[in-house]
Amino acid sequence: MAPTKRFYSKNEGKPKKRKKDDEEEWAMEDDDSNDVEGAVVPGAAGRNAENNDQGVQEDEFGAKDYRSQMILKSDHNSRPLWVAPNGHIFLESFSPVYKHAHDFLIAISEPVCRPEFIHEYKLTAYSLYAAVSVGLQTHDIIEYLKRLSKTSVPEGIVEFIKLCTLSYGKVKLVLKHNKYFVESPYPEVLQKLLKDPVIQECRLRRNAENESDVDGLITQIQDKKSIPTFGTKPSTSDQSTESTTVVPDDITNFYEKMDNEEDDEEEAALNTVSFEVNQEKIEVLQKRCIELEHPLLAEYDFRNDTVNPDINIDLKPSAVLRPYQEKSLRKMFGNGRARSGVIVLPCGAGKSLVGVTACCTVRKRALVLCNSGVSVEQWKQQFKMWSTADDSMICRFTSEAKDKPMGCSILVTTYSMITHTQRRSWEAEQTMKWLQEQEWGIMVLDEVHTIPAKMFRRVLTIVQSHCKLGLTATLLREDDKIADLNFLIGPKLYEANWLELQKRGFIARVQCAEVWCPMTPEFYREYLVCKTSKRLLLYVMNPHKFRACQYLIRYHERRGDKTIVFSDNVFALKHYAIKMNKPYIYGPTTQSERIQILQNFKFNPKVNTIFVSKVADTSFDLPEANVLVQISSHGGSRRQEAQRLGRILRAKKGAIAEEYNAFFYTLVSQDTMEMNYSRKRQRFLINQGYSYKVITKLAGMEEEPDLMYKTREEQGQLLQQVLAASDIDCEDEKIPGEGGPRGGSSATRRAGHLSSMSGADDAVYYEYKKSASSSTAVKHPLFKKFRH
Amino acid sequence: MAQNDTKSNHINNSARLQPANLECKNLHDYLKTRSPAVLERLYNHPTICLAVYRELPELARQYVIRILFVEQPVPQAVIASWGHQKYAKEHSHVCNVLSELSVWQEASIRGGLAGWLLSPTFKRNLKIALLGGGKPWTMSSALDPDNKARDVAFLDAYSAERWECVLHYMVGSQQQEGISADAVRILLHAGLMKRDEEDGSPVITRQGFQFLLLDRQAQVWHFILQYLDTVEQRGLDLVECLTFLFQLSFSTLGKDYSTEGMSAGLLIFLQHLREFGLVYQRKRKAGRFYPTRLALNITCLQDKGAIVLEEDTPKGYIIVETNYRIYAYTDSNLQVALIGLFTELLYRFPNVVVGVLTRDSVRQALKGGITADQIIGYLTQHAHTQMLTNETKSPLPLTVIDQIKLWELERNRLVYSEGVLYSQFLSQADFNVLKEYAQTSGYLIWCNKEKRTMVVSKAGHDDVKKFWKRYSKGN
Amino acid sequence: MVNVMKGVLVKCDSAMKQFLLHLDETMKLGKKFIIQDLDETHLFISADILDVLQAKIDDLMDQISFPVTEKGN
Repeated sequence: MAPTKRFYSKNEGKPKKRKKDDEEEWAMEDDDSNDVEGAVVPGAAGRNAENNDQGVQEDEFGAKDYRSQMILKSDHNSRPLWVAPNGHIFLESFSPVYKHAHDFLIAISEPVCRPEFIHEYKLTAYSLYAAVSVGLQTHDIIEYLKRLSKTSVPEGIVEFIKLCTLSYGKVKLVLKHNKYFVESPYPEVLQKLLKDPVIQECRLRRNAENESDVDGLITQIQDKKSIPTFGTKPSTSDQSTESTTVVPDDITNFYEKMDNEEDDEEEAALNTVSFEVNQEKIEVLQKRCIELEHPLLAEYDFRNDTVNPDINIDLKPSAVLRPYQEKSLRKMFGNGRARSGVIVLPCGAGKSLVGVTACCTVRKRALVLCNSGVSVEQWKQQFKMWSTADDSMICRFTSEAKDKPMGCSILVTTYSMITHTQRRSWEAEQTMKWLQEQEWGIMVLDEVHTIPAKMFRRVLTIVQSHCKLGLTATLLREDDKIADLNFLIGPKLYEANWLELQKRGFIARVQCAEVWCPMTPEFYREYLVCKTSKRLLLYVMNPHKFRACQYLIRYHERRGDKTIVFSDNVFALKHYAIKMNKPYIYGPTTQSERIQILQNFKFNPKVNTIFVSKVADTSFDLPEANVLVQISSHGGSRRQEAQRLGRILRAKKGAIAEEYNAFFYTLVSQDTMEMNYSRKRQRFLINQGYSYKVITKLAGMEEEPDLMYKTREEQGQLLQQVLAASDIDCEDEKIPGEGGPRGGSSATRRAGHLSSMSGADDAVYYEYKKSASSSTAVKHPLFKKFRH
Repeated sequence: MAQNDTKSNHINNSARLQPANLECKNLHDYLKTRSPAVLERLYNHPTICLAVYRELPELARQYVIRILFVEQPVPQAVIASWGHQKYAKEHSHVCNVLSELSVWQEASIRGGLAGWLLSPTFKRNLKIALLGGGKPWTMSSALDPDNKARDVAFLDAYSAERWECVLHYMVGSQQQEGISADAVRILLHAGLMKRDEEDGSPVITRQGFQFLLLDRQAQVWHFILQYLDTVEQRGLDLVECLTFLFQLSFSTLGKDYSTEGMSAGLLIFLQHLREFGLVYQRKRKAGRFYPTRLALNITCLQDKGAIVLEEDTPKGYIIVETNYRIYAYTDSNLQVALIGLFTELLYRFPNVVVGVLTRDSVRQALKGGITADQIIGYLTQHAHTQMLTNETKSPLPLTVIDQIKLWELERNRLVYSEGVLYSQFLSQADFNVLKEYAQTSGYLIWCNKEKRTMVVSKAGHDDVKKFWKRYSKGN
Repeated sequence: MVNVMKGVLVKCDSAMKQFLLHLDETMKLGKKFIIQDLDETHLFISADILDVLQAKIDDLMDQISFPVTEKGN
């Protein structure tokens, strides 16, 4: 959707005050303070079912009493859900109808929490917008909800659904043969739009006489289209025998109907009407349509795009899609066109394969944006691993890579590379120019939730692409900006259930633990009297925490595990790492050094533990690790917590017998604010069904010989070091728009600490063996079948 | 209870020292605190003998049966020889039980041997209970058929409703009808409720909270025991009431019995039982009554679960999630109120209530005197069948159990004990002597030899002071 | 001779003891209340301060705890 672009930029620079939200703020979002919110979202999006129950009676125990609005059905036992008047929906995961209900709810609502037994969802204006855009209709949503519900569906909810869906999803902006059309199966809607003077302006009339229709609309009967199939499907053993369970007929029937609809949405040759629009006016048009409560859905009819050349890329036969990956792609390509939107999969669940498959399906020039140089390398590897693309087709556009991107089929770069405003080299300048001139078939936006909305809008003004696919592990932003993504990229197309993926072995089974480390009296004494800024350092450097960390590292090294230790605080990071003689990576670590350390971690049996700062949160993959220890983190950021967990989620081979195959420890100093932060951070994951075991005493730690900081003297010396530390040492690492021309330039760091970087220098460099054998020309047999 | 509270000092009021917990007596515990005279009167009734016999430990039942028809004392050594030496401990235990209950007495045998002799009254009436004969000991049911006969389902519903009325009253739920002043007095007497210091209205106590979380059978039994404590003040005869209660416990559910021949006192007792739902009467003067499930087997606390309140105990209805959510499948106000004791309730749907365990809500309960174990116990006991399917030992998520316990521990980070600090002893010898005394008397709560400092408990201070004075004079 | 004083023996972990010392030194409860610092885990304090002290400790615990779950939304 190339022309989504520029109108956002007009609003930029309009200063807007935003509450500085203490520790929630995330360094990368710092420059986000002057963007516009709400300016381009339709009015309905502001609706909130939450308020529907204002004035509802509370019962004598303080609960909101919805009993009068929800009449229990006599066969409620065989129906799986309750719909509360405030838009919250509760689903029994043990119901025989769970599967039916789950697919439906994930399409129409946002998951609030999905632990083992009862899942909570919430209807929001955005979620309903997303539902409509994947093809669900108002009537069907209401009807199916009624059938699934144990009780009557509150009137207010029915109203809410109507309000949020009736006008949505009716109009699409389609690019065909390089002409833009506003298309809809509802002539009356188009007529309504055309009455608007602004929209009239945008319309492009070529020989008005030729049009047959009275209002000059182009009528067209749409041909049946098949959904592409993606890669090899693992044989589905999903046809479980459900004969024993009682599913009310009205649910089964309807489910089948909906399921079919999704598959063959356009089978019943749909009549659509459309009018052409002027390409230059697209942004005006889009904005106006939003104001008129008819946001334009963006779809790319890539199979009819004859202007942009196809690229020669296919999935390899070895690329096997898991059911949920396939499902998410089906949502994207549900009607044979490519919808823009966001796919949410936990880290380690194979987001990149989804991205690669999407590119292989569209088969037009693809642009992949990610957020670090290391990540660029990793994406390139992913393309080579899963697809037939070879080095000549994939180019990296970074300050370090020496590729020549001009004219390539797949371009991988970073957000900051294309958005930064510093002077570029002549070569880079040329590449940028070329990039801007292109009409990209698909743009893949990796870790899309980490990108400041402002930077994101800048990307959209630079790059023209027909379709945008956002990939992320969590739609969680502490700043609520996620709402913007809905209208900047498109609706959420799919969101996986973590616990379910874990149960089916697609991601690791992680034991999360919160280890309580008592403060030593001396440290606690200082903690109580010192100024706030120093407190962080005191609780991170707490000798008991150091010892617990050392113990855990040894324990897991003995088990043959690979451990990553995270510390946001650089002073602590270095101190811990150097004391224990482990390599570490943080902002100033150069790209080559990072790769060297990561390679060692991967292949060197002597390097089993590395220390990293928050640069490792999102920027690169660490597929080998199965133990994560967190000694200092970014306040109460739920997203960071989820992201860190993601570092060890990649499914582990073997060890199926064990209950857990990965471990996630957070070390917290007791009786300090760290306890508070720690709990806050856990919320998101707890709602995904994870639970944190509190460990008040590490078994075996007392017996462990030679742990450091045992004596009072040693502890006292450590305390002196902490007290002598400067204010900057007390802060979390600041990463200025990581990735930039020189990878988060180390110039901002004080030289005093650089001497201590030698900790990692003795690491041995191992040559990375290229495992990917060149099987470039291979086309997937199944895939060929569906192209034409 | 009440006196205790007023007398207690400042510290006790702030509920930081561990106050008394609810004490649950079983039949044995109860009877052994009765005087032998009362027991003798009780044993005049075959029903009671049978009830006591049934509740005896298995070994004790063996002994009783073996000597039931022996008219002379049996040498203790003989009885001891019936079991293997390995079980000597059990043997002495059951001997003790039988003595405490006055089922048998020590009797000397010629030749100076110690022997056991069953209480003649007990023996006579147990024989009647087991073998028949004597006067009919069950209640009279010689009645015309009731033209408005009540079935078991009705009786169950009735008893549940009556009993819940009492519980409702305790949790302060306004939606139910009140209970009689008599019932309130029993609650107050039992220490389950106490008068509010300000407005005098009854409020639930720590023991009351604990009571609510007991299973129903245990509740009824505990409540009835407390009631029995008060019958004499009401001019009722304890033995008569107890006897009737035991008769009731052997009656048949769904059958009606006549009130004919019941004394005035017993009729009053019957009305009380009616209020609590142990018996059903259509009208006060109906001339007949139906025992309910609550009255049946009231004395069998030992083998819980084996029989009885099947119908009455609701099936598991609580789901506890790892994210601290609670879903309770119930429309009963009482159950909602109980869960509300330690849960923050969010939504009320027709058949489910949604809540969440929070630190605040749990602390509220802890402050009210409910223990972490009781909360966990209640949730476990009523866990939804879905929760029982996973193979781990506990139906509840372990992290939730841990957290509830941690919240409790958090309140006990500091342990206070009132005491007196002794310091600045002139000589080590003085210190040692006093420390020795305090320690052997169990008063010493802290000491440090080098600093010649020690703390004795408040209770021990007077004794220690006296000792010190004597000692100082002696020197 | 011997010196005798009434009060309350407090047993706690060493961090909590630091907290009490801190309250005492900074007169957070309006006055000094520690009669004697006995050892790493014991203090002897005046009895009349107990309720205020417990409230302060509750405050501290409230501060460092965070609701484990969101409630409604």
